[in-house]
Amino acid sequence: MFKRGKLGGLDGGQYRPLTDSDIRSMHEAIVRLMSEIGIKVENPKAFELFEKKGLKTDKDKRLVYIPKGFLEDCIDAAPSELILHGRGNPDNNIIVGGKRVHYGSGGTALNVLDLETGEKRLSTLEDVQNVSKLLDYLDNAHFQVIPVYPNDLPTEKVDINRFFAAINNTNKHVQGGVYTVQGTREVVEMCSMIAGSLEKLQKEPFISFITCVISPLVIDQVYGDLLMTCAESGLPVSMPAEPLTGATGPVTIAGNVANLCAETLAGVCLAQLVNWGTPVLMACTSTSTDLRTMAYASGSVEEGLINACAAQMAQFYGLPYYGTAGQSDSKILDAQAGFEGAITNLLVGMAGGNFIHDALGLLEFCMTASYEKYVMDNEILGEVMRVLKGVRVTDETLAVDVTAEVGPGGNYIQEDHTFEHMREEHFVPTVADRQPRENWEAAGKKDTWARCHDIAVEALANHKPIPVDEEIVKAIRAKFPNFVQ
Amino acid sequence: MAEMNDIVEAVFKGKMKEIGNLVQGALDAGTEPNTILDDGLVHGMDVVAEKWKAGEVFVPEVLRSAKTMQTGMDVLKPHLVGGDRKPKATFAIGTVKGDLHDIGKNLVAMMLESVGYEVINLGVDLDPSVFVQQVEKGIQCIGMSALLTTTVTQMKLIIDSLQEAGLRDKCKIWVGGAPVTQEFADEIGADFYAVDAAHCIDQLNSVYSD
Repeated sequence: MFKRGKLGGLDGGQYRPLTDSDIRSMHEAIVRLMSEIGIKVENPKAFELFEKKGLKTDKDKRLVYIPKGFLEDCIDAAPSELILHGRGNPDNNIIVGGKRVHYGSGGTALNVLDLETGEKRLSTLEDVQNVSKLLDYLDNAHFQVIPVYPNDLPTEKVDINRFFAAINNTNKHVQGGVYTVQGTREVVEMCSMIAGSLEKLQKEPFISFITCVISPLVIDQVYGDLLMTCAESGLPVSMPAEPLTGATGPVTIAGNVANLCAETLAGVCLAQLVNWGTPVLMACTSTSTDLRTMAYASGSVEEGLINACAAQMAQFYGLPYYGTAGQSDSKILDAQAGFEGAITNLLVGMAGGNFIHDALGLLEFCMTASYEKYVMDNEILGEVMRVLKGVRVTDETLAVDVTAEVGPGGNYIQEDHTFEHMREEHFVPTVADRQPRENWEAAGKKDTWARCHDIAVEALANHKPIPVDEEIVKAIRAKFPNFVQ
Repeated sequence: MAEMNDIVEAVFKGKMKEIGNLVQGALDAGTEPNTILDDGLVHGMDVVAEKWKAGEVFVPEVLRSAKTMQTGMDVLKPHLVGGDRKPKATFAIGTVKGDLHDIGKNLVAMMLESVGYEVINLGVDLDPSVFVQQVEKGIQCIGMSALLTTTVTQMKLIIDSLQEAGLRDKCKIWVGGAPVTQEFADEIGADFYAVDAAHCIDQLNSVYSD
């Protein structure tokens, strides 16, 4: 029997930037983009799959026209709900779909702010391990997207080692991007060994993949191959597109969301053609462009709007949704890092985003991860989850009888009612400082960064996720020459 | 000189439909074509570039201004002694082998064109030999772009190829892209590391000052 997890899963959907009529107009635009303008499929194998299915194509321009009926068939074929498992701990399973909200990290940063020096440096395999462990510890990280790139490994060794470094240091679900077809196959094979068999892994997937559709409207050679390889494995796959307003997508939020949907849905269709019924996440990494410099703006308020709209569209199509929120373009853990992350995470959560990634740890255009920011964002997400929990109104919570007992001028400190409800009504912060100034000064005048730093150091020293069985690690080591751990 | 201000403003505001008539009006009033060029069109672009660097103007506005200037040039050109305005220099730019990212590189190309440089946009996923051929043809400014940590190493191979062909001192080399740093540029022996398009323009202007 499946045991429902304890991580996240509260319902969003309170924030609806699109009306029902907007959603219908958006859908019509998406169908026009897919069926009239077409998707450029540069990958020959993918092109052939569409062609064989009898879809209208233009061979010279590499265009595939995806009609409404076929799109609907593909959406119907994909499951509307997925259970993403945590390795070794069913309490960590999450049910992705509907308006249920989960948050997790995102990738793939190339740098970290070093925990000891605070300086920016290239990330390594050890950082993959450490950030995974920290994310396992943080209670509002409901899943993990492999956060950083092991710059100390050659490309052919990246996929298998990155996945293992993450898996071995967390018992939460791990989703990750892949870099080579061979590497992807090795990851599937390695995780099948850990699960016991490929069938067991497919039944209870503790890993899943991310590939990309290129904006505007392109399935390219490299990511096309990766997408098809992932779909062949039968494991869940997210296929984000990233139209950037005014650059690789229309400058308008509505147009950007329409393009995004057409692109990710084209990926959904291709995955179904490869393997009918492939579990997929309709996925959005879109945000705005700062048109003063054409810089990609992660953590802009428009990112919140776009991803909230895309969450509504995924709910309309009945597909699980992978969204983006929570990053900042600040270079350090400062006020900007806090407010950008808070606003976008709140918007996309309140829109009912199912699998909101990048929600913790990322600075500087998603290129730099900060151990301290993972801790701060965990607190922001705790507050967001408190918002989603909402306000329960009953005779018991209205508490008129309690107030009758206390009477005008009394207090509620020792009431049973206070004792019974205080934990569920209040979010208890671990980072936010609410001490009197004297105590704060006596404790070393620590700012947010310093308080987060202490928590990160402590977690890395003491937190112990259940590792992969040593016998299995031995077998993995023997089987894969690329494995270095 | 009311018409000069109008031309400057038309370039600044990207009034593509009006610029032709304004330039023609100035010519009809007997203004020297070179004055129209320098004090009108070019000055207009200078204002745009300055405001852009100050963060007041959006990139699509710069591009619209450049197009407006070009439209004005089409009217002015037949009246200029020596015909076309000569570009300050020619810059060949491309994304290195194994890398398909082109939006940043294209942006640099568009912005350089806007401020008066001729640009050869070589494309993406380029073999080192493509860059070598450009220098063989006499192009003196080479720009390389990469977005991936896995492809940025190609830049060194290109510089090595130029070295082997005996062409390294015939050109200046710019490198840019997310994984590139000044340290990396120094390490591989590039002449310039440009953080962004504005930076690249400043560096080019320092080499090709009027």
